[in-house]
Amino acid sequence: MNWTCELIEAHLSDYLDRLLEAGERSAFEAHAAACPRCAPLVKSVQSLVTGLHRLEPIEAPPRLAVSILDQTLGPRAKKEGFRAWLAWLQPVWQPRFVYGAVSVLVTLAVLLQALGVQWRKPAMADLNPVNIYRGADRRAHLVYARGVKFVTDLRVVYEIQSRLRPEAEPQPAPQQKPAPGQSTGPEQKSPRELNRANENRDLSVLACAMGALPARSAQ
Amino acid sequence: MRRHTRRIYNLCYRFTSNRHESEDLTQEVFLRIYRTLASYRSAHGGFATWMTSVTRNLLIDHYRRTKRDRMTDSLDDAMFKIEEKESAGRRPDQAALLGELSEQVQRALSRISPDLREAVILRDLQGLEYAEIQDVLQVPEGTVKSRINRGRIELARMLEQMGLRPE
Repeated sequence: MNWTCELIEAHLSDYLDRLLEAGERSAFEAHAAACPRCAPLVKSVQSLVTGLHRLEPIEAPPRLAVSILDQTLGPRAKKEGFRAWLAWLQPVWQPRFVYGAVSVLVTLAVLLQALGVQWRKPAMADLNPVNIYRGADRRAHLVYARGVKFVTDLRVVYEIQSRLRPEAEPQPAPQQKPAPGQSTGPEQKSPRELNRANENRDLSVLACAMGALPARSAQ
Repeated sequence: MRRHTRRIYNLCYRFTSNRHESEDLTQEVFLRIYRTLASYRSAHGGFATWMTSVTRNLLIDHYRRTKRDRMTDSLDDAMFKIEEKESAGRRPDQAALLGELSEQVQRALSRISPDLREAVILRDLQGLEYAEIQDVLQVPEGTVKSRINRGRIELARMLEQMGLRPE
């Protein structure tokens, strides 16, 4: 395409908006650079477009959005008296905010409880840093002592249980079903009798283990 | 809401060059959108494009109504705009330059034909794509391109006549 001044003017926006092909673009630039008529035109329009893009949007008056809402959705009813006084709470009274406030309160309550603040008889002395420190120290020692006692008790119980547990007995061989008319050997004891026997045996074993009774009498 | 209000207000102001008229027109645009919301179909384009179309139609109606007594910018508006630019955190000299450019562009815009004016406003001040402008103006793409091109050239020549060259 032979780029004349008319073509340059007609495709000026295509050039500025980068709608020309690479070949057309270079031909356009070559003509615009060499032509004394087109060069200032291209430059001025280019500057104009750059300037227009740099212009910031004008802020609409703040009352405009309100008046639009009034005209479309109707004027909002003004709150009076008690409701007007509580109007500032409206943005605060959101589920997210309430949830956050409750979480903070619960955390504070747990912390104060841990620090030993008495809820039933509150006193200014409870807020004294020294008292808070002592209360926290006392609480920490109590928790530690309780933990130690619990672990010790647990160890004693496990030790007794391990000593009372009968030694692993060999698995009895599977008994064959006796033939009809054949004797089944000694009669089996009832569960109550078995329990009583086990109880006596356990007591003797426990006594031996603890050394409370002489081994002979335990037998 | 505020974003759309600002966009529509800017469109109206750039077209009419009058703040009070722009406020009234912006309200009118939103009223019309509110009443004809049921007629909007997303298949026919984006909501913003539809809003721009409604605004453009109202602007054209307004242009025809006030053809005789149209006025250019008032001095109060110009001063108000420069103050706005300064308060936006820009250096005062830069703000003054941009404010002056904005004023000159506004004056030049008000002197070119409405067809070219709306095309340049939509493209260079509202940042719409060619296809969107085609939807808004309901004219072929070639016409859109031609109007934008002629509008830019006329605007640049007019600014040169005013002794202003945007850098």
